[in-house]
Amino acid sequence: MADQSRVKRIWQQDERTLAIVWTDGRKSLFDVVELRRQCRCAHCVDEVTKEMKLNPDSIPESIRPIRVESVGRYALTISFTDGHRTGIYPFERLRQFG
Amino acid sequence: MSFFKRVQEALGAKKAELTPSEPAARAAEPTPRAPQSSPGAAAGPQKTGALEAVRHIIAVGSGKGGVGKSTVSLNLALALQQMGKKVGLVDADVHGPSQQHMTNAERPRFQEGDLLEPSTYQGLKLISVAMFSSTGQAQLMRGPMAAQVLRQFLTQVAWGELDYLIIDLPPGTGDIQLTLAQMVPLSGAVLVTTPQEISLIDVRKAMNMFQTLNVPILGVVENMSYFICDSCDKQHHIFKAGGGARLAQECGAQLLAEIPIDPRVAEGGDAGRPVLMGHPSSQVAQTYLQIADRLLAQAALQQRTDGALGYFLLEWK
Repeated sequence: MADQSRVKRIWQQDERTLAIVWTDGRKSLFDVVELRRQCRCAHCVDEVTKEMKLNPDSIPESIRPIRVESVGRYALTISFTDGHRTGIYPFERLRQFG
Repeated sequence: MSFFKRVQEALGAKKAELTPSEPAARAAEPTPRAPQSSPGAAAGPQKTGALEAVRHIIAVGSGKGGVGKSTVSLNLALALQQMGKKVGLVDADVHGPSQQHMTNAERPRFQEGDLLEPSTYQGLKLISVAMFSSTGQAQLMRGPMAAQVLRQFLTQVAWGELDYLIIDLPPGTGDIQLTLAQMVPLSGAVLVTTPQEISLIDVRKAMNMFQTLNVPILGVVENMSYFICDSCDKQHHIFKAGGGARLAQECGAQLLAEIPIDPRVAEGGDAGRPVLMGHPSSQVAQTYLQIADRLLAQAALQQRTDGALGYFLLEWK
């Protein structure tokens, strides 16, 4: 059975850290700049070849979220200060690298 | 331009003669949803304003066409209502809507402001794209537009306070299904299938989709399971047997029922009188009550115990 943990609490830990407590009690911390660089949306990763189209170095350290919002019951999405807002971050994936 | 806006304009001439609708039930006390007390937690207002007093949203899907999703959705919704629940039904099959014909429900009324008052059938709140077009007219819409219609059904209809909002999904695993699963935290999904393997091939894809989207599968309904003819009591398994049970086992969900074939179901559908209303003592109607009963017992529809946030919105500072 797939990992079905969901978000129990979510908050801004500090200037560039997103914190999540999952329903299984685990806590994860995410560097928001890294999240932007890890975006898997169709603009950032080629849908067919899975090749990275986004150059991680092009993302400045100064990038921040504007808001973080739930997507159904399986993911969250982030609008960033560079105007990018198409990334969907499934909880399962976040838990793998958080 | 929004679908509703276009319809509203098309109806412009008739609008004046409409009687004022009842006060929107959405004025009712909103029921508590996700815990909102955690310090620092984002617990913004529901994105889906019209759904704020809806306790559970349940999708009825199958991936496969023609297995009876709409019939099951409608009769299940009516069965839940007969158990004293407040229920709404969204016909999300934009290209092949059938809920209006199956109920003869009237066109909904526009009320002041943004929200549309849903149509009703026997107290069941109901909306379908068929209510906005003339009979037989096709909705020529690409996926994103069809998804937009569903979005508006969810956000621009005054659903008010409901225990359950049932979403009758179209076949497939495309735009409509994804929009729904991304837009609202579904409490779960009911899978409808017919018994034979060729049906299960498609239904497994829907099962897979719901699992990927972390939507719990609340149960499996096997429709058209068998036929009992007039002159004998033998169950004739016209489409083979056991598919529903197999699927339920595969997805770790309960087989909610095996619904027999009864010509009165199709007659009722065509006549706009669902079997649950037209033949309440029939075996099929009794089976629907059993489905509703078993569905309500599912843990996912009980009080949320894992403390998961339903919807959240965190503004970065």
